Amino acid sequence: MIRVNDREIPWREKMTVSDLLQLVDDAHDCAVVRVNDRYVARHNFDAVVVPDGAEVFLIPVIAGG
Amino acid sequence: MQLKTMQTIAYEKQDIDKGYANQTLHIDLAQPAVDIRPVTEEMKRVFVGGKGFDLWLLWHAVTPDTRWNDPENALCIASGPMGGTPSYPGSGKSIVTGISPLTGSVMDSNVGGYFGPYLKFSGFDALEITGKAAREQVIYIDGIEQKIHLLQVSGLPEESYGLSAALTEHFSDGKPRSISVVSTGPGAASTFLGCLNFTWYDTKRKQVRYKQAGRGGLGTVFHDKGVRAVVARWDAVPIGINNPDDLDGLKQVSRAYSKEIVQLDPKQNHMAKVGTTHLVPIMNDFDLLPTHNFKFGSHKGAVLIGKDAYTPIFDPGFDGCWMGCTVACSHGVKDFVPFTGPYKGRRVYVDGPEYETIAGCGSNLGVFDPYAIVEMNFYCDAYGLDTISVGTAIAFVMECYENGLIHQDHTGGLPLHFGNRDAALELVHQMGRGEGFGKIVGQGIRRMKQIFAEKFGADPDFMQDIGMESKGLEFSEYMTKESLAQQGGYGMALKGPQHDEAWLIFLDMVHNYMPTFEKKAEALHWFPMFRTWFGLCGLCKLPWNDIVPEDNKDTAEPAKVMKHIEWYAEYFSATTGRQVRPDDLIKMSEAVYNFQRILSLKMGYGRRAQDTLPYRAMGPVTEEEYESRRERYDKQLQENGGIALNGKTTGEKVALLRKYREEQYEKLKDAVYQRRGWTADGIPTIATAKRLGIDFPEVLDVLKAAGVSE
Repeated sequence: MIRVNDREIPWREKMTVSDLLQLVDDAHDCAVVRVNDRYVARHNFDAVVVPDGAEVFLIPVIAGG
Repeated sequence: MQLKTMQTIAYEKQDIDKGYANQTLHIDLAQPAVDIRPVTEEMKRVFVGGKGFDLWLLWHAVTPDTRWNDPENALCIASGPMGGTPSYPGSGKSIVTGISPLTGSVMDSNVGGYFGPYLKFSGFDALEITGKAAREQVIYIDGIEQKIHLLQVSGLPEESYGLSAALTEHFSDGKPRSISVVSTGPGAASTFLGCLNFTWYDTKRKQVRYKQAGRGGLGTVFHDKGVRAVVARWDAVPIGINNPDDLDGLKQVSRAYSKEIVQLDPKQNHMAKVGTTHLVPIMNDFDLLPTHNFKFGSHKGAVLIGKDAYTPIFDPGFDGCWMGCTVACSHGVKDFVPFTGPYKGRRVYVDGPEYETIAGCGSNLGVFDPYAIVEMNFYCDAYGLDTISVGTAIAFVMECYENGLIHQDHTGGLPLHFGNRDAALELVHQMGRGEGFGKIVGQGIRRMKQIFAEKFGADPDFMQDIGMESKGLEFSEYMTKESLAQQGGYGMALKGPQHDEAWLIFLDMVHNYMPTFEKKAEALHWFPMFRTWFGLCGLCKLPWNDIVPEDNKDTAEPAKVMKHIEWYAEYFSATTGRQVRPDDLIKMSEAVYNFQRILSLKMGYGRRAQDTLPYRAMGPVTEEEYESRRERYDKQLQENGGIALNGKTTGEKVALLRKYREEQYEKLKDAVYQRRGWTADGIPTIATAKRLGIDFPEVLDVLKAAGVSE
């Protein structure tokens, strides 16, 4: 099981960040996620595999600085 | 350490009323003379407080002929009506203004620490320092005893860390938390990059902590006036200390905001744990982390200097630079042992590093050693130097060195190639000692370009392209090549290229929220105006959009985080009794923002010609840069520029892209000026001044003298 912003999503083997975000309704426009303590940028969503038990946060990097 | 009282003035402190002390404090060091003046209702209505009050005082202190080191230049420090509220996150900011030695024009720099609130609680909404002291002085504002002391000093530590700690101990009367010190160090004496350290006392760690008003050399102005330190003393800070109009309303909105931050920060950027270091890997991943003098936006070494490097060495505990702040992002490194300089081998506590210092003194120099960055951070603070300008200036000389524009004969034997951490540190020590090549670097990039061309025969055109300054101020640490909106955010920022007005990279480059000139112009109107508002009120910007509500993405304009803006409007109304809605906040800022632009005009700046950028900020200067991202640039030339690239050399493509991008930037300026109600020359129109209620006779005189007729 994976936790995404406090919601539980079933984990499956080789699940990428992109795969995971397709299961999350409000992931549109998300440019960065944090998988446990690791930040992942949008262009790496297809390449990064999410481990079972991970905590994933959708990071709202919008107008910081 | 010896302190001799020259003058003591007793005064009667008025109770704070709805966020205002209703007095300003003026110290002319030349006489010396102390004057206390009332705050008028018009000042509050038009300028609100904070930077607004600072600028109003500065306007009346200077003439168009005033230079940064003239006695009449006024160094102004203010809080704001909400400044010092201990329940609402991020309510402890001060803002400093003056005429800058780097730009010759108006500079503002905001900073945490306890000074601004303590100044206000002591009875003053703003402090204005003019004149120059015949001998070094400490100004001591004792709000508890209601006395102002001007003290002659001798035997004080030279560097800012030791100086602030010694003065805190001296004045604390057993309560060091009651003291806040503003000071700078020896680097401010020998460079134009001087910063001001504002202190807060960390009761759990039992030590003085530091925040910096870094930008624009205001520490150099402070030193030039002969001031070693300004000390404020205050007592307890209860929740109702600002005597708000609606204390229950204030408590309610404060509770909601604090609770949300505590709940959501761990799920978002986790700033209470990692500060702004989380930005390093994110910026690197999006090709936005400046490396090698803004040549590139990413580097494999970045993994060594991000949050994963610093989180383990940050000293755990509460790190709020003002009481009650739940963002609490001001982390530090305990028991750091410098390997160079006067503190070599001693254990010190380093406040930082934050993102800007990591990027400026790290990646932009090709230095990916996290400890070298901590050491640069420490010595810049101790010497009173701005880590941003120091980093960007050293990056410039490193690129000049690598391109053969300067040699070891010029650098005093320092091999200033990228990645040379020892040479970078030595330059910082030279700035602190006021000697060697470091003293030249400390004059800033604009003056270095002139010196290198005139004395060393360096190519002025190439230096113009790679010297990352605008208006004379060094760039802060974000890559702007791929975001036209952020180019505007830097190039049209009033004081120079600092991201506190507008940080639009993600909205523009990553999310493509503003595809047209009109939409970019709207963003370059709204964001600078809203961000200005924090500086009027004594507030920190970070809580606004570094932690956002979970349903924010579902709102009509998620970039504005409207729920928080509504809370800010409630906070302002509850404190001042002036009932406002979110749109009113923009109007308040717009008045002060335009006033600052017109003050720049009064000083001989503030026109289109000053809103320029070095080409490095817009696109690839060299063929090496172009080739490193060739696919991206080729695509843009073909798709956006409609240019066929068959048979074109890289040099030809560099030139074509440059022509295209420079034209885009000029078009953006046209759109932004129009949106802001300015002329094509970038000057607010008389109609704009009237609409905003800043049509004072002296303001209209400046506009008319500049040829503005309507």
